[in-house]
Amino acid sequence: MGPSQPASEFNYARQIKYWRRNLKTYLPHYYTGNDANRMTLALFTVSALDILGDLDGALSAEERQGYIDWVYSCQLPEGGFRPWPGSNFGNRRNDENKIWDPAHVPGTFFALLTLVVLGDDLEKVKRREILLWLNRMQRPEGGFGETLGADGFIHGGNDSRFGYMATAIRWILRGDHEGPYGDVPDIRLDDFVTCVRDAESYDGGISEAPYHEAHAGFTSCAIAALHFVDRLPQPPGQEPDGRRRGVTNLSNTLHWLASRQTATLEDDDSVDTFDDETNTANTCHDAHSFVKVSAYPTVSMESTVGSQPKVPFDLAWVGMNGRCNKIADTCYAYWVSSPLQILGRMDIISTKPIRRYLLDKTQHAMGGFGKVVDDPPDMYHSFLGMMVLAMFGEPGLQNVDAALCITERAKKHLESLPWRKEAIASIKSNGVNGAGHKSISQVAADRMQIDS
Amino acid sequence: MSLQLIRSSIASVFLSAFHFLRVILLRLRNGLTYTETPRRSMPPPKFYHDDEAWKDVEPLPQDDGGMHPLAAIAYTEEYSEAMGYLRAVMANNEFSERVLELTEHIINMNPAHYTVWLYRARTISELGKPLQDEIKWLNPTALKHLKNYQIWHHRQTIIDALGSPEGEADFVSQMLEKDEKNYHVWSYRQWLVKRFDLFDKPEELQWTESMIDADVRNNSAWNHRYYLVIGGREGKAPSEAVTKREIEYTKEAVRKAPQNQSPWNYLMGILRAAQLPKSTIKSFATEFADIQSPDDVYSSHALDLLADIYAEEENNKELAEKALDLLATRYDPIRANYWNYRKGLLSQPEVAA
Repeated sequence: MGPSQPASEFNYARQIKYWRRNLKTYLPHYYTGNDANRMTLALFTVSALDILGDLDGALSAEERQGYIDWVYSCQLPEGGFRPWPGSNFGNRRNDENKIWDPAHVPGTFFALLTLVVLGDDLEKVKRREILLWLNRMQRPEGGFGETLGADGFIHGGNDSRFGYMATAIRWILRGDHEGPYGDVPDIRLDDFVTCVRDAESYDGGISEAPYHEAHAGFTSCAIAALHFVDRLPQPPGQEPDGRRRGVTNLSNTLHWLASRQTATLEDDDSVDTFDDETNTANTCHDAHSFVKVSAYPTVSMESTVGSQPKVPFDLAWVGMNGRCNKIADTCYAYWVSSPLQILGRMDIISTKPIRRYLLDKTQHAMGGFGKVVDDPPDMYHSFLGMMVLAMFGEPGLQNVDAALCITERAKKHLESLPWRKEAIASIKSNGVNGAGHKSISQVAADRMQIDS
Repeated sequence: MSLQLIRSSIASVFLSAFHFLRVILLRLRNGLTYTETPRRSMPPPKFYHDDEAWKDVEPLPQDDGGMHPLAAIAYTEEYSEAMGYLRAVMANNEFSERVLELTEHIINMNPAHYTVWLYRARTISELGKPLQDEIKWLNPTALKHLKNYQIWHHRQTIIDALGSPEGEADFVSQMLEKDEKNYHVWSYRQWLVKRFDLFDKPEELQWTESMIDADVRNNSAWNHRYYLVIGGREGKAPSEAVTKREIEYTKEAVRKAPQNQSPWNYLMGILRAAQLPKSTIKSFATEFADIQSPDDVYSSHALDLLADIYAEEENNKELAEKALDLLATRYDPIRANYWNYRKGLLSQPEVAA
């Protein structure tokens, strides 16, 4: 590491500026393609400021209430939230046209979290209606969709993104104990777990659907979902409780997650992969210049034999990719670290060079983070980049919950709400398998104890 | 040539140069914004308020829920207005030709608008429009919005209703030329294979091979091969002949580029599906990483596999440990923590899978 080594500093002042700007001013027009994801951007904005410890500083009491009111303005009369005001027909909404303005799984998930971060008590949320609706959002094979159409048809993809958000909504509104809540049935948990297991790929990652390609986003969502419903593998040595669990091959999944660390940070590094003779020290950084690639007598010898100069290559900056043989991307640092933290296995990756990659390579001088090296910032990568740093314990950032993407403070606020405590107590006293059932955090702590 | 003509031709030459410059300037300016794909030609904005065909519609403006909206976007006037007309027609459940055009307009500006797609699908069905026309329109739209989810959902609905995959293979190839690892495109291809039962169609496997030939590191292509060979079997193990064919095919690919994880993972997948032990390919792995000559390692993945094989063997724990040490310290230090974790598992056999 030469004298030009960057400082690897989190630019606290710029990051606050970036997020305050997102809060207080109009987002540029090129966010129009994300108009229907405004609730997602809303959560990113308030949660980012909360992680920065700036929420109280950034908001007056009146503004805070105003933002809470805005989220509620997206709540539908029949329960659930729309993710933006764009589909709202106002007083022209009726039974005939409301199918074009449906409750939306991501909209509801991000609305609830935004309210929690802003300190609302969720008393005005139509909680029972949401729980009833969640049951109707579950497909026969166990996965969840995005919206409900005419005749109860479930629209949207059939992948773990919606399963993650649906199980999180359930956790927010009624905790992780199984069984009905009053007269509202629970979702079909065994079917959901089956669905996740079916999407496990041969290489240990989890994909969009059975036999599709393993992808860090789907892997992260699936593992977080199993965590929300307490169906991750039991810690070794614990008496099996007979419940259907996933993932089925934890060691393969850990292998796949650890394999996502990559020193291939830029497209230029991987351009040569179009050619099948790319196994040179110059291009294949994951392969590293450590293996003897240039000397192996390959099929087309002439192209690789010959003294390729070894690239002096240190591992000061390590990013994470989302799939095998792809380049590093800020958001995958989150999608890979989050499941590892949930599984209590953050120790199998090296967080220091990942931290340096985020701070030196994708953190932007104007605040925020870009997708790849030298990219301009956008809210999605800016939020997830900062989440990872908070998960790694960056000084100055608040502690976060990796699965919910909110601060521990906000999560504690949610857990302190009386209606939620009552719901959990009621389900616990009803449920047969609720008795003596450990909380998620206790299970994670047990797992770490046994493995270390 | 009259003076007039000369003048106008000179003017047009100058003007076209000016026009040319202006295009460059516009492009430069667009390049500085964060649009995902630089727009090739910017069509003039389209408005409805002065359009005769829309005279009867009162647009429904957006109610942004009070004084403190979150994530408010600086919409263009064009988008704001079009959305107002869209809300107005949706509220009336109008299904008409002009609605089709309006949905197209909105989709071009905001393809992630989830209900506009459903509304469009309903309009097509209400009007009885030929589904082929919809596919013709979808092709360039998909090429413009490579990472959009909704487009693929819509395309599946249309192709499913059409009942034929004709032309789809070409379209997929065209999409992959732009982004050869595009997740949506590969997922869509997999849906086509399943919907039209193409698992055993020789052309499908040949095409997959050509994709692997073009880039042996394209993990999506390897995964598609697995989809065809194993995914269509409903959990049944592959025949001996198929297993042998796949092992040989993959070995060749590994020889081309030993430090490429995709075929190694694929090989492990095939072995597991065929219920064969990892040790089946022990001697093959040794070609690339012989534990006895630790200076000559050609593939960290071979070393990884050997560590697993040794760990399962009687009395070979030290060799496993040696392989993991080599990975942690010399051949794959980026994952040193992971290899050390694996080493720790060697002494707890009940934990190791």
